[in-house]
This record gives sequence, structure tokens and C-alpha cells, in this order.
Amino acid sequence: MTLPSTKTDDVTVWDYLERRWDTVLELAIEHLLLVLGSVLIATIIGVGLGLLVHRHRAASTVLVTVTNTAFTVPSLAYFSVFLVWFGLGLQPSVWTLVIYALLPIVRNTITGLAQVDQAIVRAATGMGMGRGQALLRIELPLALPVIMSGVRIGAVLTVGIAAVAAYVGGPGLGSEIFGGLGAIGSARGVPQAIVGTLAIVVVTVIVDLMMAASHRVLTPKGLR
Amino acid sequence: MSAPTEADAAPSLEEGDDAGASPHAPVTLGATSPAGRVLGYVWTPLLVGASWALLYWWLSQRELGSIEQRNLTWSNVRTAFVQHLDISLWATVFVLLIAIPLGVALTRPWARRVAPSIVTFASIGQGVPSLGTIILAFLIITRTGRNAAIIGLVAYCFLPVLRGTMVGLQQVSVDVVKAGRGMGMSRGQVLRLIELPLSVPVVLTGVRTSLVLTVSSAPLAAFIGAGTLGAFITSGFALTRPTLIYVGAVLAAGLALLADWLGGIIEDVLRPRGL
Repeated sequence: MTLPSTKTDDVTVWDYLERRWDTVLELAIEHLLLVLGSVLIATIIGVGLGLLVHRHRAASTVLVTVTNTAFTVPSLAYFSVFLVWFGLGLQPSVWTLVIYALLPIVRNTITGLAQVDQAIVRAATGMGMGRGQALLRIELPLALPVIMSGVRIGAVLTVGIAAVAAYVGGPGLGSEIFGGLGAIGSARGVPQAIVGTLAIVVVTVIVDLMMAASHRVLTPKGLR
Repeated sequence: MSAPTEADAAPSLEEGDDAGASPHAPVTLGATSPAGRVLGYVWTPLLVGASWALLYWWLSQRELGSIEQRNLTWSNVRTAFVQHLDISLWATVFVLLIAIPLGVALTRPWARRVAPSIVTFASIGQGVPSLGTIILAFLIITRTGRNAAIIGLVAYCFLPVLRGTMVGLQQVSVDVVKAGRGMGMSRGQVLRLIELPLSVPVVLTGVRTSLVLTVSSAPLAAFIGAGTLGAFITSGFALTRPTLIYVGAVLAAGLALLADWLGGIIEDVLRPRGL
């Protein structure tokens, strides 16, 4: 990694990491936990909504349209409006990320449930299972791989967006990027912003690998 | 319901589905019926128009303080809009000019070896935060806010669009290409007459993706002093004036929705007949 050198007393990325790796690691863990926590909330909400609407075509369309619209809105708008509502801290960041993670989760829940073979569901109800039971014990497990890939997409998407969390008093690596901007003119500004940005890319890859692993674990045995 | 793009359980950083590029599969209300189509086209401008009208009404009802009045002038709003559109449209133009030709070049036979690793790299690159690219462009390349914002947005959107183009071109069936060669077409003719027309929808999706990504990330340019509608948000934050934050949020949100809507119309109008 070669860096643009403007002065002779430049701090390289490596110098910076050597001096502050413990802080960077701590921020990376915060970042990871922020994303995972938000995605967990989004999964509960998204799968719940998907289960509610998946039998109704019109309701599904409306739900996907609404989450799609919400997804298009700039992240800074959410962060700042939630900041006004909830104050500085964790909350504005979590709710912003939840909104972004919802779209792929909702969409894949609806898609996954739609792909379940209805003959299996009829067989289940024929064996005396109730509607709700069949949904939770037959349809949901069969749709799980598709739902999980939605969760995975949602998780990967939100890692980068979480960078802005630092602006509204939230946790994570964004503080390194903003710190680099704040240290403009000093030797550590550029390396700090680079470290923050690259560390977020690393966290993205880690999140993706974690999701891939849980995807495998959660796929029902018969579908592997 | 549109065709589900993430229906397959493909791993998002290795292959198949678009982690960042296409959560924007267009969803129009009942897109099959003509009435539903019209509703799909009209819905977004109606929503945006209504929300902006509501914002205006709400502002006119309120007693604005002197700071708010100084910030909320028509000329400020106009300047912010112009900066926002200037930055995001130029970024979109550069993304398309670089990413699409490169995507075409990298799917040619000579690049067959490197193509998969490029796609993987582009997928990982989707994890790069736009905040990082914008601020790094400002710190490293140019201290001119506007240009740094354009460069940062290009760096951020370039990989998703490149990846979408490559994946789309790779989907053009090998058999169709062979048929074209068998009819005596040259490689260039096959590319021009078969592959490119068949991949127009992919390219159009790239246009839409970059439009939406640039317009919705442009507010972050306010952090490097490039104005945009995000500037209302950052001033509102700095001056603890929630009114300014609301104005910035509603205007920026509306503009992003209009960008997505425009992208959808471009997709529908330019798609080759029969696809």
C-alpha cells in the first residue's frame, strides 16, 4: 500500500495502526455489534411482517413498495431526523440500519414463503396440523435458506451505512473517518481516515462470512 | 411483485445476487395491468410533491427564529438543489463512462481469466462506505469540495455498476453468441448486434443504480463543505435547529425518490421491445 506523501514527516497507515490498533479493534467490534444488533431487530420485524402478509398479494406488494421507498431515502436524512427524535447515542443509528436491512429481509421472506410447495403444506394440514402450526413448523423452515440470504444482504449493506453513526453519537468506525477529517492538516489525518475506511471493508467481509456460516447452519438437514 | 432478484440463496460476496447493486428491483403496484403501471409512475411524484407541500405548509405555520429564517431562504434552497444535482449527475456520468466500457472489455474472451476475480473484488468493494470515499477524496486528492464529492461518489458507485454490467453480460447465452458466429458474423458484429442489445436492460439497471446511489449519498458531501441538501442537515445539527434538519431530510429524501423514479422510467422506455 503506497500512500500519497505530502510531507517528509508523514505518518503511514502502518505507523498509525501500530500506535492505535487497540482503539481501532475496539471500534471495529462496536461497529460489528451495531450491525449485528440492528440486523437482528430487522430480522424479527421483517420476517414477522413477511409472515403476516405473504398470503395476500396486494398486502405483499404494498409492504415491498413501502420498504423499497424507505430504502431509497438517503441515510443522512434518517440519522439526523432520528437524532432529533431520540437524541444523541445508539438509538438513531440502530433504527436507521434497521430500516435499510428491512427491504431485503422482507422481500426474501415473501419470496421464500411463496416458493414452498403447497402440496407439502396440504399434507401437513391433512395430518391434522393447524394453519399457524404448518406455517411455523413446515413453511418457515423450508423458506429459511432464502430468508437467510436476505438477512445476509441486509447485513452486508448496512456495514457501510453504519459509518455515519459516529456523526450522531453512535458507535463504530465512522469516528476514525470523521477523526481523519477533523485532523485535516495534521500528519495523522489521512492515515486515520484510510484506516477507518479499510477497517469497514474488513468488517463487511467478516459480517458476510459470519452470515454465510449461519446460513449453512440454519438450512434444514433435508435441504442441504 | 417484481421478479425477485435475491430469491436464490447465493452468497452475496462471491457470486450471483447483487448485495449492493440491486435492492432496487423496481416494484410497481400491480405492474401487470395498464392502470397499475400508470399508478406506479404517478405514485412517486405524488408522494414527493405531497411531502414537499406538507413541509412548506408546516414551515409557514411556524414562528421561525432568526437563525432559521436566515438559513431558509429560497436562494439557499435553490443553491442546495443545484449543488446536489450538479454533484450527483456528474458522478453518474463518470461512473457510466468508466464502468460500462470496462465491464464490456472485461467480459471479452481475452479477459476470461481475470473476470471472476474482478467480480469478486467488485463485490468486496461494495463494502466501501461512501462516507469514506468522499472524505478520502477530499483529504487526498483535492480540497475543492465539489470535485472531491464527485470523485468520492464515482469511487463509491463504480464497483456496483461494473459488477452489474459484467454479471449481466455474462448472462447473455453462449448459444446465442455461437448462433451469431455460425451465421457468419464477426466477433464485433456479435457484440454489436446480439450481445449489447440483449444486455441493454443490465446497463439500464446500472444507470438507475448509479443515479440512486449518487443522489442518496450526495448529502454526505456537506461534511466536506460542498453544500448540497445535506448542508441543511449539518447546519441544523451544528446550530441545534431541528427545523433545518427536517427541511434537509425531506428535500433530500424526495430528490432521491425522484431519481429512482426517473431511473425506472428510463429502464422502461429504453428496454428493447421483446425483452
